[in-house]
Amino acid sequence: MSIPCYHCGLPVQHAGSFTAKVADENHEFCCFGCQTVCETIHNAGLQSFYLKTPEGEHLAPPPSLSAELASYDLDEVQSDYVDKLDDIRSIHLLVEGIHCAACVWLIEHSLAKQQGVVSAEVNLTSKRLRLKWDNRLTTLSTLLQALGRIGYAAVPFDPDTAEGALARRHRSLLYRMAFAGFAMMNMLWISIALYSGADQGEFKNWFHWISFLIATPTLLYAGYPFLRNALLGLRRRYLTMDLPIAIGAVTTYGYSTYVTITASALGHVYFDTVVNFLFVILVGRYLEAISKREALSATSRLLELQPKLATVMIDGLAKVVPIRAVKIGDLVLVKPGEKIPVDGVLTDGQSAVDESMLTGESLPVVKKNSDQVVAGSINGEGAFTVKVQQVLRNTALAKIVSLMEDAQASKAPIQCTADKIVPWFVVVTLTLAAATFIYWYQFDFEKALLAATSVLIITCPCAFGMATPMSVAVATGVAAHHGILIKQGAALEYLSKVTHFVFDKTGTLTEGKLRVVTVESFSVLSEDRLLMLAGAVEQHSQHGIAKAILAESAARDLTLSPITDFSSSAGQGVQASLNQQHVLLGTQSWLAELGFVFTDIVLNRIDSLEHQGISCVFMATEGQIVGLIGVADQLRPDAVSMINDLQQQGIAITVLSGDKQAVVGAITAELGDIQRQAEVLPKDKADVVRALQNQGVIVAMVGDGVNDAPALIQADVGIALASGTDVSIESADIVLSHNELRKVTEARRLASRTLSTIRQNIVLSISYNIIMVPLAMMGLVNPLIAAITMPISSLLVIGNAARIKRLFKG
Amino acid sequence: MDVIYGLLPGMLLLGIIGVALFFWAVRSGQYDDMDGAANRILMDDPPEKEQANDTDTDK
Repeated sequence: MSIPCYHCGLPVQHAGSFTAKVADENHEFCCFGCQTVCETIHNAGLQSFYLKTPEGEHLAPPPSLSAELASYDLDEVQSDYVDKLDDIRSIHLLVEGIHCAACVWLIEHSLAKQQGVVSAEVNLTSKRLRLKWDNRLTTLSTLLQALGRIGYAAVPFDPDTAEGALARRHRSLLYRMAFAGFAMMNMLWISIALYSGADQGEFKNWFHWISFLIATPTLLYAGYPFLRNALLGLRRRYLTMDLPIAIGAVTTYGYSTYVTITASALGHVYFDTVVNFLFVILVGRYLEAISKREALSATSRLLELQPKLATVMIDGLAKVVPIRAVKIGDLVLVKPGEKIPVDGVLTDGQSAVDESMLTGESLPVVKKNSDQVVAGSINGEGAFTVKVQQVLRNTALAKIVSLMEDAQASKAPIQCTADKIVPWFVVVTLTLAAATFIYWYQFDFEKALLAATSVLIITCPCAFGMATPMSVAVATGVAAHHGILIKQGAALEYLSKVTHFVFDKTGTLTEGKLRVVTVESFSVLSEDRLLMLAGAVEQHSQHGIAKAILAESAARDLTLSPITDFSSSAGQGVQASLNQQHVLLGTQSWLAELGFVFTDIVLNRIDSLEHQGISCVFMATEGQIVGLIGVADQLRPDAVSMINDLQQQGIAITVLSGDKQAVVGAITAELGDIQRQAEVLPKDKADVVRALQNQGVIVAMVGDGVNDAPALIQADVGIALASGTDVSIESADIVLSHNELRKVTEARRLASRTLSTIRQNIVLSISYNIIMVPLAMMGLVNPLIAAITMPISSLLVIGNAARIKRLFKG
Repeated sequence: MDVIYGLLPGMLLLGIIGVALFFWAVRSGQYDDMDGAANRILMDDPPEKEQANDTDTDK
């Protein structure tokens, strides 16, 4: 077991790489980022942060700050987020990395020390920061950088557009629940008076009328969502759970009103039942809404919320403008490392562009003059200008997104177990009530009415209506705490029935990052020396292969010498001089073009490496090829154990990839006996899933890229990794927020547990009905019995659902 | 027992005041962060500068 990092608690891979003297003691860190964050915290005198963090809590490693931070200072950009562009401005920020109260403390205190901050309030539940600052004394980007230095990434957002509708619905549900609660409490006093004898005396009518006065607004206000949904459902000929709820509430209310107005001697009033019933159902709905909001707000945090900006060239001057202001025909400058904001034709400059999010191709594509570039792809090291052809909704990326949205809208809603039973439940209830009425009608009309209504009242679908939502709400909440965000509750039910998992390879089963797997020398140079030279030449590059080489040389503790005369040819190679030695590092074709000769031995070696899925770069110096460095994508560390777990549960596995068969085979060799489909085009992924479904198999798809999105929607359950693209997160039913594949098996375990709880709950509520309905049909149920048994049945269901929480304990 | 004719409306009135207060509390954001406020009270040792700032913010 290695030493944990003093800041984030993750194991330190190479002890001694990052050591710092903090508070007179030497501490080990896992990376430079953690070290800086810790030093900043101590220098600010806020070190008691570490004492306040709960034991065993892992802090997030520090974020990489976006290069575009300064653009947040522009008034054009801020106007989208700030109410008024005065001297004192206030803004809502979404903050990544907040997980406990100590973070709240750290953020608020360190911001309070910044000059120009008027107030900073953190909301721990929603991970938001409300920041008020004096724009004359400081800038927003300065404050965002200050947050970055203590380890939190923050982006501005507009709460109204981001989640306005959802928050308003949430709030109105809270109001309705509170009103029903108030009505219920007052009603209980009256009920107690009635049960204890007042229904015989002179105040009977007075009590009845007061109850009527309380129940009427409760039914109309608190019960409005149920009445409305029931009517909407009827109009669309679709029986929902709201229909039996509405029937129960309205008949009970109508009957009691009838008794109150006619002052019938025989009848009882059931106003308290109506009110209690609405209150309990609303509590269930509210809890469901809370956990749903938690999952949704977490996914909205994952989605990129950065303002969309572009650098437009006007009369030779670069000006940063919001993307809305870019017109077709404008010239847009794309800087190194930026995301390309528009579709267009390259007019000047060249660069290697990473189009992986659209094509799934992991290596960058070289773009030269008059080549097409598409919005959403990421620029490599070169800068270039683009003549704009399409913006916003007309870009290729936006078109894919709108295709996704269409597919999602047309996807039939998943029918959960309760939805399938509800129509039968409604039919049986109404038939029984009718039968009761017909039977008793032979003796007495009033008695018949009373018995028939009490059948409807007692079958009150309270427990039944909460059987599924309560279980799903508890499961969603538990899952969210474990990094599994469930966007669609019904997907949980399906997940437990899945018999075939389809995985995307690049970025899902593998890390999607290149790593050095082999260094081979064809000359007298040692491997380390070769790697050192390569690292030195690549030290200023941002290319994926360069990063892999730099990471490897850092891991081997190699010191990189300074270089001169650096030049790079986008997507082909780099060259530089060090110690009077000229070194070239690049692709086979580039070096061959420059006149270097590849011997047969080297060519054979390339062949066999490429068969194993390893891409090679070659080093040349002093006129000959001296060595090669092989890089490849690697399986995620938990991939093997996850696949084994799933296979032990009898689940079939398919891996899809756009790569060649040999590459897929080599990389996934460790995974054992699974199906592999290579050279699958992005658009065919959904077809593979559909073909499986046509064989009657329930399929779950796990993926991360834009090209996986159609398959995620097509599959019965779509699971996306949080590191994936916005589009794939949008299309999925479940999002794994820490990119841990292990969570796939955990989610499945949770799903089967939830399904069995739902079944238990349905059995519970049906057995309650089997006991109570015959009593009601015999005319033996009075308000007291109804008032006692109905809440008990609901509580049983709620209590049973709460047991799901124990799944992950111990 | 005629007092009951006055007591019940009185009870309703008090209840409605309670509901109105609750609506106000929700609207003013007191229920927005259920976790933070509970913990914040345990975390307090304000640095010196914040106290100086307090006079500004309280205006």
